[in-house]
Amino acid sequence: MSEFGEHTLLPKVALVGHPNVGKTTLFNALTGKNRKVGNYPGVTVERSSATLRTPHGHELELLDLPGAYSLSPNSPDETVTRDVLLGDLADEPAPDLVICVVDAASLERHLYFVLQVIDTGIPVVIALNQIDRAENKGLRINRQVLADELEVPVIACQAPAGRGIIQLKQTLRFPFPPPTPRHWKGPGAVEKAIEKLRKKLEEAGIERAQAHAIHLLADTDYRIEAQSHLTPEAQVAAREMASECIAKDHPPEDEITEARFLCIRRTISASVIEKGSEAESLSDKIDRYTLHPFWGWVIFGAVMFAVFWSIFRFAAIPMDLIEKGFGAMASGVSSLLPEGDLRDLISKGVIEGVGSVVIFLPQIVLLFLFIGLLEGSGYMARAAFLMDKVMSRAGLTGKSFLPLLSGFACAIPGVMAARTINSAKERLLTILILPWMSCSARLPVYFLLIPLLVAGSLAQTMVMFLMYALGTGTALLAAWILGKRIGRSEPTPQFLLELPPYRLPDFGYVLRHVLGRALSFLKKAGTVILGIVIILWALSSYPKAPEGEDQLAHSVMGRIGQAIEPVVEPLGWDGRMGGAMLTSFAAREVFNGSMAVTFAVDEDAEEDDDAVRDKIRERISTAKKEDGSPRYPPLTIFSLLIFYIYALQCLPTTIVVKNETRSWRWALGQLAGMSAFAYVAALAVYQGGKLMGF
Amino acid sequence: MSVGLTEALERDSALNLDQAAVGCNFQVTSLEGPACRQLREIGFCEEMRVRKIADGRTLLCAVCGTRLALSRTLAKQVRVTPA
Repeated sequence: MSEFGEHTLLPKVALVGHPNVGKTTLFNALTGKNRKVGNYPGVTVERSSATLRTPHGHELELLDLPGAYSLSPNSPDETVTRDVLLGDLADEPAPDLVICVVDAASLERHLYFVLQVIDTGIPVVIALNQIDRAENKGLRINRQVLADELEVPVIACQAPAGRGIIQLKQTLRFPFPPPTPRHWKGPGAVEKAIEKLRKKLEEAGIERAQAHAIHLLADTDYRIEAQSHLTPEAQVAAREMASECIAKDHPPEDEITEARFLCIRRTISASVIEKGSEAESLSDKIDRYTLHPFWGWVIFGAVMFAVFWSIFRFAAIPMDLIEKGFGAMASGVSSLLPEGDLRDLISKGVIEGVGSVVIFLPQIVLLFLFIGLLEGSGYMARAAFLMDKVMSRAGLTGKSFLPLLSGFACAIPGVMAARTINSAKERLLTILILPWMSCSARLPVYFLLIPLLVAGSLAQTMVMFLMYALGTGTALLAAWILGKRIGRSEPTPQFLLELPPYRLPDFGYVLRHVLGRALSFLKKAGTVILGIVIILWALSSYPKAPEGEDQLAHSVMGRIGQAIEPVVEPLGWDGRMGGAMLTSFAAREVFNGSMAVTFAVDEDAEEDDDAVRDKIRERISTAKKEDGSPRYPPLTIFSLLIFYIYALQCLPTTIVVKNETRSWRWALGQLAGMSAFAYVAALAVYQGGKLMGF
Repeated sequence: MSVGLTEALERDSALNLDQAAVGCNFQVTSLEGPACRQLREIGFCEEMRVRKIADGRTLLCAVCGTRLALSRTLAKQVRVTPA
């Protein structure tokens, strides 16, 4: 074992604290821009780390743990924080030192968490952050007394201004201080139980026996629920100790909580010199409007409208550039390669197929940028507060709002954002309905098909809005219905949220996050989508048709289309549309590319996407049946649109859902259920429309 | 006045946070219910001062310099007395 613990190459320091306390800003101030993002082993929670060099020249790894109000977790994020600090996460040794980031203006609220962290037996340093806010309120804390009371270094910080950063780095000197002793003491029965349990855990070979003993007695769920890193015997021993305490009228969870709060009151009483004024802050004044029962909604509507309008308006220029870029690449390839399958594959398949997806990158980037800025400014919590009333009708809470909003860009980050929802039932419901938020991948399909239904930009905008409204409305209705069947024994999710003060977003962090999402999107385009377009091209190009025969009809895709025709005919589609629909199950953006292929639209390398879409539309609108009637009347197009609103056509989403729910049953059930619903909805629209004479 | 009577009077004057008047300051006396641990950990602990800012299906309170929003159902689990 090294001086700093087992397995580590670099000593590891963890940053912990409540959400919104400024941990990430402090992390950035300490480490600069060398953040590495990954996943904790075995879980899908993001692992964020970077190296930093102390003033003494030593290099450390700094780990930014997920925000947590408590080490008795209420969400997957908090579970990871607990498990890392207790050393229970496989392949993630416990840190060698912990920096507890605490809001100086709200010290008393944070000390419970600090005491829990001290009880893990890891050396602790307190970063008293947002010290400027405390000073502005007239709050004065005697940091030396606070440090003496808790026996930990206390450093005042103001992370955005870089204040206190050098002093904080100076506390990270080697050797690290020893673990801080406990400053609370429970009644005799509880103290004896802690000691007895500690010995039993040591005998059983459980590491950090003292920390585990305290936590097993302080947290009923931790004691009762199976923990992969604790032996069943250890948990049985813990339950026995707890029962003994309860029999003596000293329930350990209550006694430990009370002892900690007594310690907190003593500490606050000694260290807080001036409590500060309770006068209205700037955030309070702004909230009079943003949380107003009427004006709050007006502001919310205006903000949401501005976000979506900006996305469509400002994305046009970069989208145009991307279009021209891909067009130039396709031209270049066409001029360099001789005519034949290879040229066809690269210019028509790969470049144009992938290009038809990448073109939506600016819209996705802008949506993530706006969501990041709104979240960073503190407004998103207000939006969640307002939306709670609407969400509650669907059996959800306002906390589901942000994940669902993210779903309008892409379902994958939306599903991952659901990790912050405390209630397991609400988290699952949010994940299950999320794909019905019309994501940006549906836009190519909407842009292709809506002009076939209505003419004029106003009418088309209204139909587009209807698509979004249908998807969102059905999602909330589904949440209400599913909520009555899933987790019936679980309590109704309740809304509990901290509204942070308004602040300027950390633009650097937001931009880095957006860049991460953009790269992730491009990676998907370069892997999944690329693979699909190559396969599509091959399916429509082989086997080669004899001279005089239609290539498409002879190809594998053509035969698949013919086979699927009886299934899709009741929806008003034919085999070509059915084939294109099938290909878009892996990624719905591919639909347009499939339609271009199946309608044998020759995509001239110099044409832009609008021209290609116009050609596809022309082929669709002029196609005739044998009796001369339109092959694809508006009702068929509407049925196709309805299908695309409801079908889950994104394999990466299914995989992420499986990872987040840890269940193929939920992931595949969602895929099957949404596919079936989409089919039935399209069927109902087409058949119902025909009955009504459309 | 005996301590027992004082405590009884305090108990009687305590009300649930959802019943408390908007704009007034209160002190948390006790927490009773399935979410009391979570409420304590986020800031609604015994002896903490709370100012109720807004009422409705979701309440808004100022606790220790922070704004916390909570549902009515959770607010019913927090017993307070006027501060």
